[in-house]
Amino acid sequence: MRDVIVIGAGGGGPVVAKELAAKGLDVLLLEAGPRHAKPREEWTTFEDDANNPLTGYFRLGPTDRSKPAWYREWPQNSFVWQLSGVGGTTQHFYGNYPRAYPGVFKGYDGADRNEYDVNHRFPFTYSEMVPYFEWVEAIMPVQTAAMGHKEQLFFRGAETMNLPVQTTKTTRGPSYRPQENAILQPGGTAGKTSDKNLLNYPQATGCTFCGYCFQGCMRPNGAPRNQFAKRSTDNSYVPMAVTAEVWARGGKPVELIADAYVTRVHTESRHGVLTASGVTWRDNVSGDEHREDARVVVMSGGCTENPRLWFNSGLPNPNGWVGRGYTDHFFDWMIGSFDDYTGNPKGVGSSARLDYPPYGGLENVGLPPALNAFAGTLSDSGIRGQYRNGRGQTGPWDGPAGRLMGPELKELLAGGIDKLLTVLVITDDDVEAQNRVTTSALPADENGPIPKVTFQQRKRTKRTLNNREFMARKAAELLRGAGAKKVYRIDWAPLILHVQSSMRMGESEHNSVLDPRGETRAVKRLFIADNSALSNGLGGPNPTLTSQALATRTAEKIFQTYFDGDPWVRKETPVVSTDPRISVRLGQLGL
Amino acid sequence: MPAAVPLARRAFLARIGVLGAALGGGGLLTRSLLNPADAATNPLLPPAVDLVRPVLAALARDTLNGLTAFALPGPDQYSRTQRASSRTPGAMEAGATDFMINALEHFVPFPDALAQPISAALVTGLADTGISLPGLEVLPAELRTLDQAFAALLQSDETLPLSFPIAGLLNLMATQVNPAAVNGPHLSPFARLTYAEKAKAFELIEKTDSDLVALLDVQFPEPLKASVSGLLKFVGGALIEFATFGAYGEFAVFDPKTKQLRKRPVGWTLTGYQPDGPVEGWDDFIGYYQGRTEVHD
Ligand SMILES: Cc1cc2nc3c(=O)[nH]c(=O)nc-3n(C[C@H](O)[C@H](O)[C@H](O)COP(=O)(O)OP(=O)(O)OC[C@H]3O[C@@H](n4cnc5c(N)ncnc54)[C@H](O)[C@@H]3O)c2cc1C
Ligand code: SF4
Repeated sequence: MRDVIVIGAGGGGPVVAKELAAKGLDVLLLEAGPRHAKPREEWTTFEDDANNPLTGYFRLGPTDRSKPAWYREWPQNSFVWQLSGVGGTTQHFYGNYPRAYPGVFKGYDGADRNEYDVNHRFPFTYSEMVPYFEWVEAIMPVQTAAMGHKEQLFFRGAETMNLPVQTTKTTRGPSYRPQENAILQPGGTAGKTSDKNLLNYPQATGCTFCGYCFQGCMRPNGAPRNQFAKRSTDNSYVPMAVTAEVWARGGKPVELIADAYVTRVHTESRHGVLTASGVTWRDNVSGDEHREDARVVVMSGGCTENPRLWFNSGLPNPNGWVGRGYTDHFFDWMIGSFDDYTGNPKGVGSSARLDYPPYGGLENVGLPPALNAFAGTLSDSGIRGQYRNGRGQTGPWDGPAGRLMGPELKELLAGGIDKLLTVLVITDDDVEAQNRVTTSALPADENGPIPKVTFQQRKRTKRTLNNREFMARKAAELLRGAGAKKVYRIDWAPLILHVQSSMRMGESEHNSVLDPRGETRAVKRLFIADNSALSNGLGGPNPTLTSQALATRTAEKIFQTYFDGDPWVRKETPVVSTDPRISVRLGQLGL
Repeated sequence: MPAAVPLARRAFLARIGVLGAALGGGGLLTRSLLNPADAATNPLLPPAVDLVRPVLAALARDTLNGLTAFALPGPDQYSRTQRASSRTPGAMEAGATDFMINALEHFVPFPDALAQPISAALVTGLADTGISLPGLEVLPAELRTLDQAFAALLQSDETLPLSFPIAGLLNLMATQVNPAAVNGPHLSPFARLTYAEKAKAFELIEKTDSDLVALLDVQFPEPLKASVSGLLKFVGGALIEFATFGAYGEFAVFDPKTKQLRKRPVGWTLTGYQPDGPVEGWDDFIGYYQGRTEVHD
């Protein structure tokens, strides 16, 4: 019998695991995918080897890459970008760590208070969340992003838009700024040389501007795992969780098992109350099933897998909201082409942003060639100049929106990948019951019936659709201001990678799965701590900081409710995840 | 665009047999998926199928050449046929067709329970297009058309490489867009289309209420039926995106054993990406915007 079993070692699970391990609880962390303990041996810097969703080392599938990935049903042109493995989808994220907008929390009384998704706010206030933001920001640590050429150009565009520069952590209104990133600032030779002989740790510390965030951060070369620049959880929370005894008084290291696919959450009736009692998982390699019991079970499998596990476990869904209310920021993609050098594929994927509550935001995103080409062809608007698929919006960009394809794409990219500036359009999108995860009618895989992710992108709320058009126009304005010769709008089909709120926490029992403490309403001792627990799409900010802050709060609630403990976030000083004691212990463990 | 020709819904024994096998409980899941090697040889297959298999493989490759040239045109014959070619290397030089075939045959985790009925449904559609396979006198007379070859394979209960139904889909659409594409250079109707016609073929696949969806839907029993139209919309987008990703990536020159590149990828040369190869870092750090290295509330 464990104290706590956490399902999933992605963005959220390791946070709960680390926090409770620090309090001396016996925590088992189960991860469906690979461990990637030796990135210098397992990873490269190549897009197909890394990012091919079928065969890459970053995919949703078991460790053995000769076995197919786990397939999912998407009944529309869309792409759900989930990863399995220790670190989960943070393995290839960009570490952008803005806070959620205050307007998405209960009690917000700003002048624009009625312009957010007012029916789906967080069930507590922004000021209650602030200590948890600060806690995670200190642990990561989150720092102001260093500027490269692509950011300089983004700022040049933003400077033409009559907006202030944000110089606080909290976003109070439309503004632009460098990202606050969970990325260590460059130190020593990092960012100052391209000579690989000069880029070994500790001569170089922090971000070397290599530009391979999407292929996984293992830099600077020779650094201990917990001092790699990008703070994906495999480089931050997981190292802390497995070394808790060396940095927390009374801490107990987490046991982490990879290739362990949880197929069932078990429950029993205690005094007439449905209560979680343990889990069954399947070993991907041997196919063997294992069962363990625990006092508390935490689901952290992400927005798509948690609903699936819920359904496959036969858990109750009295209000029908399991899997519903999925938000994705209904992204769009704008490409500006320039005469001059932009530095687009260098440095952290994104280090500059523009926030525009209550509409959404923009950020620059640099990509290498194949991903860049993929991003230019993912469209709901047909092929530019050929057909529009019933859409093809026109506006302050050049020509109709749509795919850049064939000769047009080739000409654009042949002009030089470092003559482009690409901007992600982020929509403040509403929680809608129709956007959801169900179980698919397609055949089950070895872990049970598979999830089906439905997004009705053309039938989203008026507010969501308007917000997207508004932000797309702002993106064009920014690119023109920066001096783009041509601006293309792709009108992305749903690229679902900022995932939120499919098992949402809410005030009302009619449209939420979790109570305001993070425990499921239907099953006691069962908590959810990852992006699916978020109440809404946050107004547009990248979700992981808020998700981890919420997971920290949930860890406190678990400790208080079921282990007679006291909350700690307001009392204690957090230990930073780069702490040398962790590095030393990782070395002893061969990690 | 020509109106879609209404397609007769001929019942094929093959289809019935395949549907029965696919939906007959228990063994729904993906034999080839879990164990691709099993599908390679099967001594019990009738010899006609052994003849058909390479023919269909050649057809699939040809069709996918038409697709990848569409994604990244180059100086090759397929790009010239589509009347959108280019002097610099394109998808053929980048090995993008091998990329697609490798993905479709070994890695697209797509259940037989769907691939088989989709293929069977395509056979119905193809039967009326009059596509014949040129230069294949070796085949018995009753197998000399595409639909018959397909049907033989379906009847054989052999796991179908996914590139076959994908090629079938593209070719069926090709003949809808341009009925004359049943004859001409190359093996496949899709590869015979102009660039604009290829775009039209995709328009038909992506269109929400396309006849194709109606045609295919009718072949599926519940509960799979509801999945098919959504799936086609997904497949239409994914073929384009994936072909493009493959054409600009390093697949063809990557050695998985050494994890090194044998040559510089076409996509890198084309775009000027990292001229001296992979790096440990770049000297691109300018400073901090307005000199600010940290912020507080
Ligand atoms: C390209 C890209 C860039 C991004 N950039 C940013 C960014 O800059 N900033 C930001 O905030 N966010 C970013 N995101 C989003 C970020 O990755 C997610 O917010 C975060 O990873 C979500 O954490 P999660 O725990 O909810 O899910 P995940 O990270 O997906 O983790 C879920 C984990 O659970 C495991 N799992 C699932 N089911 C089971 C099961 N049944 N049994 C065992 N294990 C299971 C999975 O294998 C996975 O490891 C980006 C995403 C992508 C795709
Ligand atoms: S750009 Fe920086 S953060 Fe990104 S992978 Fe390279 S070193 Fe890591």
